[in-house]
Amino acid sequence: MRFLPISRFIETSPLRLLDGACLLVMLPLLLVIKVPMLLYMLLVFSLLFFRKRATGLTLFLTALAGVLALFLSLYGAFNFSGLSRLKLFVELLIYLLVIAVSLQRLTREINFYLIISPILLMALSLFFFHSISMLLYVLVEIFVLLWLILLHRMDGHVSQSLRMAALYFVSSLPWVVLLFLFFPRISFEHAAYGFRGDEVRRMGHDGTMYLDSKALLVPSERIVMEVSFAQRLPAADQLYFRGSLLYVDRGDHWEPLPRRLTQNSKPVFESAEQLSIYNITLYPTQKRWLYLLDLPYEAPKGATIDADFMTTVPEKIDTVQHYEATSSLRYRYGRATSPAVVEAASRIDVRRNPRSYALAQQIAQRYPDMQQRADAMAERFRAQALRYTLQPKPLDLHHSVDSFLFDKREGYCVHFAASFVLFARMAGVPARVITGYKGDLANSVKNYLIIKEKDAHAWAELLIDGAWQRVETTAFASKVSADRGTQSSQDDADTQGSLLLKKINLYLMYIKYEIETWILHYSHFRQMQLLEEARKNPGFLLKFLLAIVLLLLLVIVAIRVLRRPSCSDRVLCTMRPLLAALRKQGYEREDGETMHAFLCRYLDDFPQCREIAEIDRLYERIRYGGEDTTGAHLRLQEEIRLATIRSGRA
Amino acid sequence: MKQKLASEFTSVVDAIEQHLVGKREAITLMLAAYFAGGHVLLEDIPGVGKTTLAKSFARVMGLDFGRIQFTSDLLPSDIVGVSYFSQKEGDFFLRKGAIFSQFLLADEINRAMPKTQSALLEAMEEHHVTIDGASYVLPEPFFVIGTQNPHEEVGTFPLPHSQLDRFLCSFGIGYPDKAAERRVLLGLEITAQQSDTPLISPERIENLMQQAREVVMRDAMLDYLQDVIALTRESGWFDYGLSTRGALALSAMLKSWAMLHGRDYATPDDLQAVAPAVCSHRLRFSEGVTTAERIHAILFSNTRSDA
Repeated sequence: MRFLPISRFIETSPLRLLDGACLLVMLPLLLVIKVPMLLYMLLVFSLLFFRKRATGLTLFLTALAGVLALFLSLYGAFNFSGLSRLKLFVELLIYLLVIAVSLQRLTREINFYLIISPILLMALSLFFFHSISMLLYVLVEIFVLLWLILLHRMDGHVSQSLRMAALYFVSSLPWVVLLFLFFPRISFEHAAYGFRGDEVRRMGHDGTMYLDSKALLVPSERIVMEVSFAQRLPAADQLYFRGSLLYVDRGDHWEPLPRRLTQNSKPVFESAEQLSIYNITLYPTQKRWLYLLDLPYEAPKGATIDADFMTTVPEKIDTVQHYEATSSLRYRYGRATSPAVVEAASRIDVRRNPRSYALAQQIAQRYPDMQQRADAMAERFRAQALRYTLQPKPLDLHHSVDSFLFDKREGYCVHFAASFVLFARMAGVPARVITGYKGDLANSVKNYLIIKEKDAHAWAELLIDGAWQRVETTAFASKVSADRGTQSSQDDADTQGSLLLKKINLYLMYIKYEIETWILHYSHFRQMQLLEEARKNPGFLLKFLLAIVLLLLLVIVAIRVLRRPSCSDRVLCTMRPLLAALRKQGYEREDGETMHAFLCRYLDDFPQCREIAEIDRLYERIRYGGEDTTGAHLRLQEEIRLATIRSGRA
Repeated sequence: MKQKLASEFTSVVDAIEQHLVGKREAITLMLAAYFAGGHVLLEDIPGVGKTTLAKSFARVMGLDFGRIQFTSDLLPSDIVGVSYFSQKEGDFFLRKGAIFSQFLLADEINRAMPKTQSALLEAMEEHHVTIDGASYVLPEPFFVIGTQNPHEEVGTFPLPHSQLDRFLCSFGIGYPDKAAERRVLLGLEITAQQSDTPLISPERIENLMQQAREVVMRDAMLDYLQDVIALTRESGWFDYGLSTRGALALSAMLKSWAMLHGRDYATPDDLQAVAPAVCSHRLRFSEGVTTAERIHAILFSNTRSDA
């Protein structure tokens, strides 16, 4: 590498470097800092820009302005109990730091405190941002801060300091990985904040279910949650994520059981097989349900499962949740259902749907066996030539089942589920509606599955012979509407190109999910999980060690590349082995020492080394004398070979 | 730095060294400047052998020697000569000054008035003088050694930077080392004094000057030279960088140096050998003293001839 003086140096006033560092770490914080404080920073910036001399008065007024800005920024939250909230407290810290840094910067004097402030600010910004973009930005920040320090220490030597920064950065990688994985972690409920705007409120399934025209479904692509299964993905017809259960038909909408009936009830399994373990990242819903695969076997920490296997958390979900859960895919339960619940699941108003009631009664009388009765009802629904559409004609809500089954004959999941549940009740089978999400295998990669808002679903559960059975009510539709909304949600019309894009997008989502799980939300739990896996599975341990070794090798290669500037010249490459051999003997070229001077220095100590004299001559002739022929190169190579052998012996 | 002088010049340097023991480097620099066709400024305290060097150099090279002792009342006409009217002949005649010699020793150059100084320096640059409107060509090769005592301040007129630039290089001689001094003290070096005969013929001198001009600088060398020149201009260590004339001086000098060492191509070692002499009167550090050693250290510890 030639070190050209032209681009080698930049002015490295330590103050400028510190300004650069502060600017870098302040960028993400600008999203957090409130307007009065931003104005204050603008004020300080303009003072600096116009090179205002920092008199005592200026400093005093700036400090005053800072306190005012602080007060205005935290107005309303400004009491001691408010400070117990972590984010507010950190925000206050940032403001104080900004004021202090500004004052110190105005004096144009560097003290130790000003020097460490960029690192403090960077650390504080981590309280607010936990997204992948922040992860990348932090990496950039660390590198640039390191580089700025080196730039300062190396008198503004740009290329050298960059190279050194890269060297340090790369050589720290294995330690970073090992420390990251194994440094003892405090088990701590992970608070996720994310960039502002990252966590808009996600709609989706909601505690009640509307049947009227207001319930027009928007097939949104927004992601509700991401699921990764420990083992294989369950089959397509097992991907029912249970949300809330609805019992009470209010005509235009359905409601859950009154609170008192479900309180303090415990889930009771009669059998639970085919357990599946999975991790879910749930985006804020502003509701209290967690969505777990039918049927939740073990609740995540802090959540409760009731007798209906509905899982709830005590507080509304307004931050991203990460939880691990276990579900049973083959199960039997229901005998322990309390009479009150059975009663609620059987309640109907016979007057509202006379035609359906007559039909249901007919079926009930013909099939005394409950299972057969349920099958017959399903058969009857199928025979009605119902159409699945996302844009149905509104039902007559006073006679919703009649209207659905005999007149309109179209609807989407809620209509199918509601009608079938009421129909079952009219036939004497206790039934209820379940709302939640149904996973679509098209949105999966390996064992990773994305649930989108359009996957919101409703289905029915029937109590047959003392066991609740899931009934996929939309399966009764004999045709699917061709209208645009329905079609696009069915993805029938996808072209090859958009399919590919979708696949790529899905893979990107998968990578993002993996990063989030294993880096951003790496926790005590994950650490334990990793260690457990290593203990149980020697193959995993081997793979892990291999990965570490590979990483080390990569780092070594990177270091070699960075440490040895590539030779710009063929003859310099030829000389390399010789220089390495001489280095081993303790002869290192000094700064500015020419090759001739260096070799002469060696010859002074080893005058008998005739090859070196010859190498000196050849090198000079090739590089400066225009004798750049292959023959000369070969002779030089030969001499170098001899010289290295000799120096190896010496 | 160990570079081997070509055998032809070893005898020349040896001959001069008899009078100036242990100062081979200064002698070689002088030779290099001579063959590069430039002039030399010797800066040192009195009594270290400036005049001795000049005299013996002229004698060994077989040059006709002129000398001017600069004083504050020296007039330009004292240097270049004067045209006078001969009543006998009834015509103007020129009485040539000391400058009409192949080798001029201008002693204590900073003692003369600026007007007188510039008369000399112009002649050095142009290689001809103008007396009463008539132009006279100076003998070729024309070589000036100016000396000045850097430490004397009273009654001197320091040469401005623009005038200093006319000297190809500038160096001191320095005290002799202990062994050399002992020889001087014993009077050993005087024995061969009068036996000097020219070692190089005028034709050969012409020839060698041509040869020095023809030394080649390859790309690798030019890159290095330009890096060094750029460093003087852009690093911020110096008040001002090397001018283009300075750069040309550097290349002429290093080529001549390469020739003296028996090569028809230049190497970084040549540059490192001559750069302090060429630069020390052309550059000034923004901070701290300007010495040849410091210039060498800064220029070459921050540039790499190869890596």
